Amino acid sequence: MFNGLHERKSAAPRMTPRRMFARSATVVAVLALARVAVADDGGFSTTVLADEGDDGRATSSVTKAELERRLPRSTPDALRFEPGVFIQQTAHGQASAYLRGLTGQQTVLVFDDVRLNTSTWRQGPNQYAFTLDSWAVSSLEVVRGGASTRLGSDALGGAIIAHARQAPASDGGVWLLPAAFVRGTSADQEAGARVELEGVAGPIAFIGGVGARQVGLLESSGPLVAPADVPRFADDGRTQLGTGFKEVTADGRVTWRPTTSDEVTLAAQVYRQFDSPRTDQCPPAFARADECLRYLEQFRTLSWLSWKRAHEGLLAKTRVAVSWQRQHELREGVRPASFVRSTGRDVVDTFGLNVGLVTRGFEPFAGAHLRVEAGLDSWLDVVDSVAFIEFTDLGVVRAQPRGQYVSGSSSWLGGVFIDSALELPLPQGAVLVRGGARLGWASLVSPGEAAPSTLGGESVRAAWAPFAARLGVEWKPTSLVSLFVNGDRSFRAPNLDDLTSRQQTGPGFQFENAALRPESALGVEVGAALRTTWLSLEAWGFQTWLFDAVVRAPRDVAQCPPASPQCAASWQRFQLINADGASQLRGVEASSRVRLPLGFTARAAVSWAWGQGSDGVPLSRVPPANGHVELAWRHAVGFTGAAVLRWAARQDRLAIADLSDPRIPLGGTPGYAVVDLRASLRLPPFVLSLVFENLADAPWRAHGSSVNGAARGLHFLLGVQPGR
Amino acid sequence: MRRSVLPLAGAVWFLGCPAPLPVPTDGGIDGGLDVGAACSPRPAFTENVASCTALGTDYQPRVAMSAMDTWPACISDSNVFTPINANISTVARITAFEEVARLLWTDDVSPSAQAFVDARVQYALDQGLDSRVQRREDVHYPAAPMPCSTAGVPEQYPDRCAGPTKILPVLNDAFAKGSLGDSPRVNAARVEASLLWFLYLSALSEVMSCTQRPQDCDSCWAYYAGATPREMPLGLARRVRELGPATHDRAYDATLAVRCWRNLDNETGVAMDTARRDLAREQLDRALLRGVALIVRQKVTEVPCSTGSVQSARLAFLNTLAPWLDRAARERNPALADQLATNLQTTTAASLDVAGTLSALDTLFACP
Repeated sequence: MFNGLHERKSAAPRMTPRRMFARSATVVAVLALARVAVADDGGFSTTVLADEGDDGRATSSVTKAELERRLPRSTPDALRFEPGVFIQQTAHGQASAYLRGLTGQQTVLVFDDVRLNTSTWRQGPNQYAFTLDSWAVSSLEVVRGGASTRLGSDALGGAIIAHARQAPASDGGVWLLPAAFVRGTSADQEAGARVELEGVAGPIAFIGGVGARQVGLLESSGPLVAPADVPRFADDGRTQLGTGFKEVTADGRVTWRPTTSDEVTLAAQVYRQFDSPRTDQCPPAFARADECLRYLEQFRTLSWLSWKRAHEGLLAKTRVAVSWQRQHELREGVRPASFVRSTGRDVVDTFGLNVGLVTRGFEPFAGAHLRVEAGLDSWLDVVDSVAFIEFTDLGVVRAQPRGQYVSGSSSWLGGVFIDSALELPLPQGAVLVRGGARLGWASLVSPGEAAPSTLGGESVRAAWAPFAARLGVEWKPTSLVSLFVNGDRSFRAPNLDDLTSRQQTGPGFQFENAALRPESALGVEVGAALRTTWLSLEAWGFQTWLFDAVVRAPRDVAQCPPASPQCAASWQRFQLINADGASQLRGVEASSRVRLPLGFTARAAVSWAWGQGSDGVPLSRVPPANGHVELAWRHAVGFTGAAVLRWAARQDRLAIADLSDPRIPLGGTPGYAVVDLRASLRLPPFVLSLVFENLADAPWRAHGSSVNGAARGLHFLLGVQPGR
Repeated sequence: MRRSVLPLAGAVWFLGCPAPLPVPTDGGIDGGLDVGAACSPRPAFTENVASCTALGTDYQPRVAMSAMDTWPACISDSNVFTPINANISTVARITAFEEVARLLWTDDVSPSAQAFVDARVQYALDQGLDSRVQRREDVHYPAAPMPCSTAGVPEQYPDRCAGPTKILPVLNDAFAKGSLGDSPRVNAARVEASLLWFLYLSALSEVMSCTQRPQDCDSCWAYYAGATPREMPLGLARRVRELGPATHDRAYDATLAVRCWRNLDNETGVAMDTARRDLAREQLDRALLRGVALIVRQKVTEVPCSTGSVQSARLAFLNTLAPWLDRAARERNPALADQLATNLQTTTAASLDVAGTLSALDTLFACP
């Protein structure tokens, strides 16, 4: 999406004599097996630093080939090695990406043309990125920093844009190709498989697949140096209770290309996760070992119909997409010793419309080169929410006065935007000026509770017209160097979760605030990039001021809302409020890649973020300094090997809510350093990938997570993927 | 391939259908006639503790604002409990207890099956009474190597893990039977006895955990009196005060002693003066046991003059509490403890030696 104006492909490495020698010296054994010794670099393209900054922003991407080699446990897990991204896990079956210190509802998740954020995304980390099937993804793009101009509400910290796998190009023929994969892990006994089919019949092309996996209890390397109250360990002191899940996925995409300039796509993605415990509540800190809150069902159903057309003349492309998304979750909290089962179900249906157009570059005046993109998007959410308490020894079920949300609530978000890039030649190099603006709207309606009071539960009607804008300058003094200065104003309108939800969160009970205002982020970033054939360096520094930041404020028992006695019974109570003054986030991100002789490549990335509220208290769960160093070796025969050190420093800058959060060890989360080895072999039609993770079996935990990272173990992927 | 893919795709959609939601259902049908009558008038008890004197180590805020006792000046000398943290989550559990009481046993009503379900909903609220019953420890017994919330520990340490091993099974059974319309008054009495004992254990347990968590001293006060002023108590304190105002005052004094200890002992951090803590705890334990004994005493006196299911309920209350009170009784006088246990566990009014039981109670728990 962000690279819609330009599409570049990674350049194949040049065949130097030294590279040739290395290939010859190591290929002997492989040649014995190789029917076709082809250099399939296309299948092994890597994060292309040369592409980063194409939009003049701090971006990075993960390709399908990298997904294949990294073998992430989930889509967000695939971002673990991206600069400025930090992956938190409240549960084994959940993961949330922090972008520049913000996550969840303060970032945007997009799948092709569909915005996945719904009006029930809660404050802090959430599980929804996990419900994006990595098999259905061709690449992941990370935009760091505010991005509301293009993507609307929520894009304060940045955006994760997943690009769906495309149906093959229609070549006039008729063909069908199946593919099959199996994968597994040792640390959590994952066993999974997927079958795929792609084909073409005249102007119609199809790609799709179905998959399933079962994931068991996650073995860690034992408790941390500073143990936390969660998770609970099995008797071996390593296996974490409250982990594991089951998953079934399916996706399909039919593309009809009636003319060379038209493309109509009908697509669907189905994600079904079952029996996924919320690790910090399974069991909760201090509770009996058999008490557990689990997501019995975590479903996402997504379908969309899009029409893209390439035009002659000034208007280059137009795009219209309509979509329907259903986010469904069914929670069950059990206390077997008391025969109590609490059930809650929330369903959000989102109806989307997304219209966009892109012009060709034209000369508004002599020597200048201007491109313009504009769009309109609209997202209507309708919420259904119920809750029950059941006594299992009797089969007696009571409906609760309300669910986590109020049924019948709705939300309508949208906006129109225009974005442009103007290139101005200079005597030495060139300058690109990029700028755009969005006028948005957000409207929320909640019918209120049957028995409202002055403390809460009243009907809610709220509407805002927030705006976003960005302006950036890229100066290219030489063909190798780019310097960036960007400013951005992004916003997040409060959603139904902020205004109406009541729930037990990690640090305590959280209840609604119907008087919240939109939060906005004013960000400034500076960056520099150096790109040569053998060296790529990129560094960014950012400063973000969050105005009216929505934060958790401690509340007294007397302030608890009606019909929620668990509020007063909880040790801590919080309400979301708009913070006075400006909260601040600042940090640096740097990444580099060096092409070394003999097919070696070295990479490194480091990120650091610092957050503080207007009251001088640290912002909650801002990631510690972290990064990775990777040394990879690739051979054209199709083999890639790599050693990776990933690390994070200790995080002891804690918010008030963090102090009562059992996920965070007393005094903060210790740092860690973990070494992984990877090996991957692609000999068409076969694919084999192995990851030996956590070689030193070091205990580690991403700050804010409920689960410790996996113990020493093995991942594998074996696939058969015939090509044409 | 098509043959294998299509069924799999079908299975995905089939498996992907959301599970049906629970369907609200009622409790059981009310049982037959639950006939019985309470004593009219109710036997009156006038407490007389004139022969009792406070121990030299007791904290006595009502006597010259603690000037005559051995305790240093502290925050409780004003005779008012000053919470460490004004937000006391235990208050919500006492509110739920009072609601359960209203639904099940106040005024000797015969609660309906629906009332039992309603009461159980109150009991089972998230972070409510049930959540604490499940983990409650009896601090009179040596601590287990792991918390009672750990799998297998309650079974190995049943006395220490009194909540999950002793109280919880009775509550589960009583709520279930009551919800099915089975002996409503009897099962309400079992719930009453169980929850009162839970409140007693909890107040003491919070004293111990207050060593680490200062705000647990507030919970000690709340588990006894609902975090209310001395004259308007809720929960266990309300029941104690109705029968023995002096005992209530002494118990309330003891909660102030707990607060005083913590005020004197690193109020915002980890306490070090466990000797003073134990003095306060023992003062509280003594008064609370006397208070529970008064409640038991009243039930004993009501057995002969009540009839039918009300009389059965009184006996059920005694039967439920008998084994739990035994430790304290036996610690004081094994012979009287035997006598008390025999009487409290009788299942018929005719076999209850009222005078002997009252004598044993008055002797064993004579002074608060």
